[in-house]
Amino acid sequence: MIAGSLLLAATDGVGLGCGALAALACLTRVGRRRRLTRRRRLLAPHRADLIAVSAGEDSEGASLRALATAPRRAQAALAENVTGMLGKVRGLPAEQLVDLLREHDALDRARADLGHRSRVRRARATQLLGLSRDSSAVEALLPALDDRSPEVRASAAYALGLIGDPRAAGPLLRATGSPGGGLPAGLAAEALLGMGVGISDALGQGLRDPDPRARTVAAHLCGAGSFTRPRPILRELLAGDPDLTVRETCAVALGRIGRTEDAEALARHTEAEHPLPLRRVCAAALGELADPTAAPTLAALLHDPDPRLAELAAAALVRFGPAGRHALDAADHRGPVRSALTLARLQGALP
Amino acid sequence: MSLPDLAVVSPAELVEPLRAVVVWLLRVTTVPVLAYFVLINTSYLVLIGLGALDFRTHLRARRTEVATLGGELTPGVSLIVPAHNEEAGIVTSVTALLSLRYPGHEVVVVDDGSTDATFERLRQAFDLVEIPREVPQDIPVRARILGLFVPRDGHTRLVVVRKENSGRSEASNTGVNAATEPLVAMIDADSILDPDALLRVAKPFADDPTRVVATGGTVRPVNGCRVIAGRVVGVDMPRRWLPRIQVVEYLRAFLVGRSGWSRFRGLILISGAFGLYRRDTFVEAGGLDPDSIGEDFELVLRMHKMLREAGVDYRVEFVPEPVSWTEVPSTLRVLRSQRRRWHRGLWETLWTYRGMVLRPRYGRVGMVALPYYWLFELAAPLLELYGILTLPVALLLGVVNVPFAVLFLALAYGYAILVTLAAMAMEEWAFHRHERWRDLGTTLLSSVLENIGYRQLTVWWRLEGWWASLRGRKQVWGVMTRTGFNEEAS
Repeated sequence: MIAGSLLLAATDGVGLGCGALAALACLTRVGRRRRLTRRRRLLAPHRADLIAVSAGEDSEGASLRALATAPRRAQAALAENVTGMLGKVRGLPAEQLVDLLREHDALDRARADLGHRSRVRRARATQLLGLSRDSSAVEALLPALDDRSPEVRASAAYALGLIGDPRAAGPLLRATGSPGGGLPAGLAAEALLGMGVGISDALGQGLRDPDPRARTVAAHLCGAGSFTRPRPILRELLAGDPDLTVRETCAVALGRIGRTEDAEALARHTEAEHPLPLRRVCAAALGELADPTAAPTLAALLHDPDPRLAELAAAALVRFGPAGRHALDAADHRGPVRSALTLARLQGALP
Repeated sequence: MSLPDLAVVSPAELVEPLRAVVVWLLRVTTVPVLAYFVLINTSYLVLIGLGALDFRTHLRARRTEVATLGGELTPGVSLIVPAHNEEAGIVTSVTALLSLRYPGHEVVVVDDGSTDATFERLRQAFDLVEIPREVPQDIPVRARILGLFVPRDGHTRLVVVRKENSGRSEASNTGVNAATEPLVAMIDADSILDPDALLRVAKPFADDPTRVVATGGTVRPVNGCRVIAGRVVGVDMPRRWLPRIQVVEYLRAFLVGRSGWSRFRGLILISGAFGLYRRDTFVEAGGLDPDSIGEDFELVLRMHKMLREAGVDYRVEFVPEPVSWTEVPSTLRVLRSQRRRWHRGLWETLWTYRGMVLRPRYGRVGMVALPYYWLFELAAPLLELYGILTLPVALLLGVVNVPFAVLFLALAYGYAILVTLAAMAMEEWAFHRHERWRDLGTTLLSSVLENIGYRQLTVWWRLEGWWASLRGRKQVWGVMTRTGFNEEAS
């Protein structure tokens, strides 16, 4: 009897659950479409003015004035639209759009929203301040790098990258390797790259960070942004970092910015006692660096039992010009050498 | 009792012992079966909850998304396309893959001993020339390589490797050996990727370059969708009920199952149709096992085992948004073969890695995910078959009454519908790929119809696969008959 009642109750519960979920799916669709329609209706009267301002065709400021006096109920939708456009436009149109946001008090509201309970509100406020490219917002944005929400931390990195103030570089790199989850490394790298040459010291410190993500970002940026001062640390990490990804990133960076002593370090790491993926990266980096002192090392690698490494060495020697060609000619034309030469001819690097 | 004696036994005299057996059987099994029923359904509820949390995070991230796809630290990807007798669609497929949005990717087609014009089509379309490259044996491959070809322009990032036929796993391993980028993805020659799919599935690698070793995306049936030049331009439900039910199945498996496991950090299965791996980890693990039926599942488990034993801090993630579209079986014959193979692969892989079960050393994979797969993925068809067989017999013999049987069936199948509807609600909430109301209705109906016949058939097929493995029968892959995409003229 009890079992039957329980069964009945459970079946009723499941039936109700099914009905509720089916209704939820339908209501979600209806709600989404209604929101979309309402947004379109609110924006429709202002669309032409928005296009004129963002395309830089509002020379007399008539469109900007019209947008500034938009009714209050349309301002939220306008702010959202303008935020989307700010990521794509530069120069006077961008300044005018920021003025419009200021006129609608959107920037003041964004500052207030930095402490809002909703993480979506905090993230959007952070992004908006970044898109306004107001360097006075940096101090207010820095604490957001340690926000408990990953969306807010990512938005803060993005915003600080847009503002481009190098004071934020140190905190950004520290936040990348933060034990609480940190920042997405790619986003941090992108933001730091937007901060220009002033981040050099921070990169040096980032290379010493205990977290491999921060070290990877710092090493990558040394190469991507041509920061040569930390080269000794890059060599050190290439030799002894416990993380293979960090070592490979250092090798790539040294290939881009290195000098003769770096070529020697890279050459040492093509030797057989090192992990094969690292040896291959170092051989490719030597080709990128094209330092003549590396030619004998690369010539020796042409006989390596690993055909990929031998081909990378041959391709690197092709980039050395006549000296490299001489080494290639001296080697017997095994498959890897012939393959590298054929590819170089197809790519137009050789006649 | 001798045979002549049996001839004079009345049916009523035969029914009574049978009734006693069924009563005894039900008495012995009721508690374990009910416990199993409660446990499996609770586990589904937990997975739905975890999946919903994952989706909420995903949605929140999308509402606050900043434009970072394809930025700094995005690693290069080699797309490995094993192809055997794919002359019909190979050029369209490769052209679409080459034009994916991604900052640095190459396509490596491995012509696995095709006997049709697969290679010739590629040679003509891309003006291929042979280069004398030796492919490294990073992963040992038994089949002989016949040649390696690249486009004459020297810039199109396509490599075609011709080899003797030795199966999909070996072809994939050959492709990985020939790959030059730090990440590798296996893509079926007849699969279609969304334009941003690669960027999205690679994002975890850029976000956490030192820890993420593998990611998987969602696979959805392409049947019924409108396709132009290798791109899905319109998402519609298939016209036939068999693929329609599979649309619902895929939704449930990917949007509830994998999202939930990923949230729990216990993902042990990345679909072979759309997975991205760090090449060095893939090679270190030994690549795909050519002798395994569930090679994708086996590889991910092997990677977990290897990395856990080495004490490496690593991540395997599922990214729900990027989609790979694939054609699902539209006939019962092909579906049967597929389900037999899947369940056989599941059993053989779980058996191979039985040593990881309930071993704290393997973390959540060993303590939760693997026991779950043993109990609720592998054993589920066995228990379901038991229910399918005993309930009608018990009903016929009057051991259980009709209202009880009806209620029990309503609860069991109602719960399955509930799980599917949860997946459907999540899909509508997060992705809403099916825009038409009619498709929503069809999905709802499919989630009900799935339980009438389809589900029972798949239970039987899965057990067939398991039984074939236990008897040591050789696995025959069978041929997936493609009906082709609903391709429109561009």
